Amino acid sequence: MRNKGRMLGALAAAVAVAGFAVSAAAGAHQTDPGITKTSIKIGGTFPLTGVASAYKTIPLAEKAYFDYVNAHGGVNGRKIDFSILDDAYNPAQTVPLVQQLVEQDKVFAILGSLGTAPGLATWGYVNSHKVPQVFLASGDSYWGFCAHQACAGGTKPYTIGWQPDYPAESRMYGKYIAKNTPNAKIGIIYQNDAFGKNYINGLKQGLGSKASSAICDQEGFAATDTTVTQQILTLKGKGCDTLFIVATPSQAITSLVTATKVGWSPTTYLSNVSANRIFMLLAAKNGANIDGVISSSYLLSPTVNASSSGVKFGAAILAQYQSALSASYASGDSNVIYGLGVAWTFVRALQNAGKNPTRATLEKALHSMNYANNPFVYTGIKIQTSSKDNFPIEQEIMIKWAGGASGDWQTTGSLQASGH
Amino acid sequence: MRLSRADLFGVVAGAALIAVLPFLISDYHQALFAQVAVFFIAILGLNILVGYSGQISIGHGAFMAIGGYTTAILSRDHHTNLVLTMVFAFAICFVFGLVVGLPALRLSGVYLALATFALAVSVPQIALKFDKFLGGSNGVQSAKTVSHTWLYGASWTTAAILFVLAWLILRGRLGRAFRAVRDSEVAATSSGIALPIYKTLAFGISAAFAGVAGSLFVMATNGFAQPNEFEVILSLQILVGAAVAGLGSLWGILAGAAFVGLLPTISKDVPVVGSAHGQDVVFGLLVVLVMLLMPQGFAGVLAALKRLRTRPDTS
Amino acid sequence: MGARLLSFAVRPVNALLITAAVFLLIGSLQSTIFAQQTVAGLAQGAVYGSLALALVLIYRATEVINFAQGELAMATTYVAYQLIQWGVSYWLAFFLTLVLAFAIGFVTQVLVIRPVMHKSVIAVVIVTVGLFVLIDGLVVWKWGGDIKFMPAPFGQQVYHWGGVAVARQDIGTILLTIATVIVLWALFQFTKIGLGMRAAALHPTPARLVGVRVDWMLAIGWGLAAVLGAVAGLMAEANQYILQPSLMQAILLYAFAAAVLGGLESPAGAVVGGVFLGIFLNLIGQYVHFITAQLRLPFAFAVLLVVLLVKPSGLFGHRRVRKV
Repeated sequence: MRNKGRMLGALAAAVAVAGFAVSAAAGAHQTDPGITKTSIKIGGTFPLTGVASAYKTIPLAEKAYFDYVNAHGGVNGRKIDFSILDDAYNPAQTVPLVQQLVEQDKVFAILGSLGTAPGLATWGYVNSHKVPQVFLASGDSYWGFCAHQACAGGTKPYTIGWQPDYPAESRMYGKYIAKNTPNAKIGIIYQNDAFGKNYINGLKQGLGSKASSAICDQEGFAATDTTVTQQILTLKGKGCDTLFIVATPSQAITSLVTATKVGWSPTTYLSNVSANRIFMLLAAKNGANIDGVISSSYLLSPTVNASSSGVKFGAAILAQYQSALSASYASGDSNVIYGLGVAWTFVRALQNAGKNPTRATLEKALHSMNYANNPFVYTGIKIQTSSKDNFPIEQEIMIKWAGGASGDWQTTGSLQASGH
Repeated sequence: MRLSRADLFGVVAGAALIAVLPFLISDYHQALFAQVAVFFIAILGLNILVGYSGQISIGHGAFMAIGGYTTAILSRDHHTNLVLTMVFAFAICFVFGLVVGLPALRLSGVYLALATFALAVSVPQIALKFDKFLGGSNGVQSAKTVSHTWLYGASWTTAAILFVLAWLILRGRLGRAFRAVRDSEVAATSSGIALPIYKTLAFGISAAFAGVAGSLFVMATNGFAQPNEFEVILSLQILVGAAVAGLGSLWGILAGAAFVGLLPTISKDVPVVGSAHGQDVVFGLLVVLVMLLMPQGFAGVLAALKRLRTRPDTS
Repeated sequence: MGARLLSFAVRPVNALLITAAVFLLIGSLQSTIFAQQTVAGLAQGAVYGSLALALVLIYRATEVINFAQGELAMATTYVAYQLIQWGVSYWLAFFLTLVLAFAIGFVTQVLVIRPVMHKSVIAVVIVTVGLFVLIDGLVVWKWGGDIKFMPAPFGQQVYHWGGVAVARQDIGTILLTIATVIVLWALFQFTKIGLGMRAAALHPTPARLVGVRVDWMLAIGWGLAAVLGAVAGLMAEANQYILQPSLMQAILLYAFAAAVLGGLESPAGAVVGGVFLGIFLNLIGQYVHFITAQLRLPFAFAVLLVVLLVKPSGLFGHRRVRKV
C-alpha cells in the first residue's frame, strides 16, 4: 500500500514538474496579443470624416509604407496588419473604437492616432491595459512629459508622440522675432482651445521679456467657425504689423486670404500643422498674398527636395501601393511624407524589439531610439529618446514662402533644437 | 403606461434577458449594451416630456452634458463615489430643467424646438469658455474608471430604477395632470390644473433623467468629459430614439435605445457605402424610412399588432 | 407681401431699424475699422438672410422647420462644384444648379415630407433631422471630406475707398441677395403661381375649393426654398474661400436666429434679421471683449431666446394670441 502511495506521490511530483516545465517553456514563447509567427496587428483612430478630415491622407500613407515592408519580407518575417478606424475627432467615438481594437481585435499596439482630445480620452485606458500607444499625431507636450511625471492620475509610460511639440515650435518663432524684429507688434489669431493656447504660451516663452509689449492683440475663433473676417479686421484695426496664425487648415487658408482681402500685409507666421504646400497653393488661388509667410518643418519637402533619395523612395512606394496619393505628394503634400516618416520609425522600433517582439521589448525600443537616418525627415534630424527624454523629434527648421501662387517653401537658417 | 398582465410578463421577460445577457457576450459587447442603457434612460426622460406633457425638446444633449460634467468634476476634484455622482447629476439637472422649463412655458411647438436646439448648441461652447473649471478642450478626467461589466450592471440597474420611477410618476396624479396638459391645455386649466407647475415639473424630471444618462455616458467614455462628446448630434439621436420608440411602451423605448445605440456599430460594416460614411447614410436613411412607415414609432406598431390579435377592449 | 410693405412704414419696429441704420452710418464715417466690420458683416449677413429666407418660405407654406435646409444648400453647392469640375463655366453651373436644386426640393417634399405632414409636427421634424444626417453622409461619400476649391464668382478684386477695403465678392453677394429677394417678391406678388402659393399657405381648404392645387403649391414652395438655399450655399462658399462639408453648419444656426429675429412668417424679416445679425455680431466681436469666439453663437442664440420670450412673432411678425 505504501509503495503505491509513494508511486502516486512520485507520479504526482513528476507530473507537477513536467507541468511546470511545460508552462515555463510556454511562458518563454508566450506571446502578447496581436502578434503571431507571421503577422503583427496594429490599429489607429483618425478623423476620416468631420472637421479634421484634412488629415485623412496620413494613415493611408502609413499603410502604403507597411505594404511596402510586407512585400519585402515584413519585420522579422511578420507582416503588419494596420486597421484604420474613423472617430470623426469625437472622443466619445474614439473610446469604443480603441476598446474594440484592444479587446476585440486584440491589437499589439495602437499607432498614430490623431488628435489631442481623442488621445486624452484613451490614454488612461491604454496605459492601464499596458498597450503601447505609439506616435500620436498631435503636438501636445503631454505625450512627452507624462511618461515620467503623473498627469491626470498617473504616469503614462506607454504613450509617446512623434512630431515636435507645439510650444517648442512657437518658442522658436518667439525667439526669432525677439532677435530679428524686436519691435514687431504681433496679432495672434488662434483656435480657442488647448491647441491654440499651447502655441500662445510657447510664443510668450520665446519672446521672453518682450512678451507683454510685443503682443498687440489676440483674437480667437471656434473650431467650427468658417469665417474669421471680424477677427482679422480687429487685429488690423489695433495696428498689429505681424500676424501669427494658429489654426488648422480650413481657418488657416481663410485667415491668409482674408488678411489680403482687407488690405493688410503683415509679416505672417503660420503653425506648421497647416503649412502643407497644398493648402498654401489653395490660399494663393483664392487671392492670398503668401510670399514671405514663415513657418517650420521637420520633414523633407517632396517638391524642394525632390532629388533626394528619401523623397524618391517615398514616391516609388506610393506609386506601387497607394497611387491615389502620388499626385498630391508630387505637389508637396507634407501629410503624406509625415505618414511615411511615422511608419518608417515604427518599423525600425519593431525591428529593434527583437526577433520575437513583445509589448515590453517594443516599449524598450521606443524609449531608446537613436535613428539618424529616417529618409523622410529633414536632413540632420535625429529621432532620439531615452529614459529622461520622451520627445522623439525636437529639431525643426524655419521655412519661408517664396514664388507666389506657384512657389514653395524655402528653408531659412539652420536646424533649431527645442531643448526640453 | 398601464400595465396589464401581458405587459407585466413582458417587463419581467425583458429584465430577465438583460440580466442574463452579460454572461453570453464578451466584455467588449457589454460596454456596447451599456450604451443602449444610457440611451434608454435619456429617451425615457424625453418620452415623459414629449409624450406626456406635450412639450418638445431638441436639446437634451445639453442636460446629458451637465450630468456628465457633474460626474467627471466631482470625481476629479472630490473623488466622489461614481454612483453618488449620478444622484448629484439627477438633482442638478432637475434644477436646470426647472430653470429651462420656466421660460419654455411661453413657447410652444416649433419655437420651443428652436429654443432647446439653441441650448444644445450653446452648452458645449460654455464648457470651452470656462476652461479653468470645466477643463476646456482638454476635458475633465474622472479619478476612477470602471470595468465593462460594472458599467453594464450599473447602467441597466439605473435604467430599471428610473423606469420604475417613471411608471410611478406617470400612473399617479402627476401623470394624469401631464396627460391632461398634453391633450388640451385649455381643458386642463379649466379643470383646475396649474399649468405652469406641471409643465415646468415635466421639464425638470425629463432633464434629471437625461442628466443621469449623461453621467453614465461619461463613465462609458473612460470617465472623460469633453465638449466634442456633446455636440448637437447627441440631442438629435435622443430625439430620433424617442420617435422610434413611440409613446408609452417599454419595448418601444428599448427598441428606440437599441436603434440609436447599436446602429452606428452595425452600420460600420455596410457594403457599398464603406465603413467611414456608412454610419451617417444608414442612420439618416433609416430615420426617414421609420418616420414614413411607422410614424407612431415602435409603440404604434405594437399597439396595431395588439389590435389585430385581440378583440376590441373596453379599457 | 405688398400689403405688409405698406404697413411697414407705420410700424414701431421701423423706428428701431432706422436708428440702427443711422448708428451704422455714423460709426462707419467715424472709424474705418467700424466701416469695414459693417461691410463684411453685411455680406456675411446676406448669406444668413438668404438661408433664413428659405427657412421662412418653408415655414409659411408648411408650418415646418426644415432642419436639413443647410445641408441641402451645401449639397447643391457640391453639385455646382461637380459641374465646374466637368468643365462647365461658373455662371452656367450656377444657373444649372438652381434648376437642379428646385427639382431636388420639389421631389423631397413629395416623396418624404408629404406622407408625414399630416401625422404630427414631431414626425416631420424628425424626418428633416434624418435628411440632415443622410445628405451629409451622401456628400462625404461622394466627394470626400477634404477641402475643395471653387472659382470666385465675382473675381478677387478688392476696392479701396477711403481706407476701407471692400472686396468685389462682398458687393456681389449683397447685390445677388437683393436681386433674389426682389425676384421672389415679384413671383409672389405678380404671378398666378405666387398667388396660389400664398393661398395654399394661408387658407388651404378654401384654396382647394377655388381650384388651387394645394399639394403642388407646397412642393413648389420647397423647390423655391431649395433654390434660395443653393444661392446661399454658393455665396457662402465664395465668402469662405473653400468648400467643405461643414460649409453651412454654422450658418444654419445663425439663419435660425435671423429667422426668429425677423419673424418666422416674414420673408422681409428673415433677410433684414440676417443682415443685422451679421453686422452686429461683427461689431460686438470687435468692441465687446467678453464675447470671445466661443460665445458668439451662444450670444446669437441668447438674442433668439430674448426675441422668443418677448415677442415670439419676431420684429416683423403678427402677434398670435394664445390665452390659457
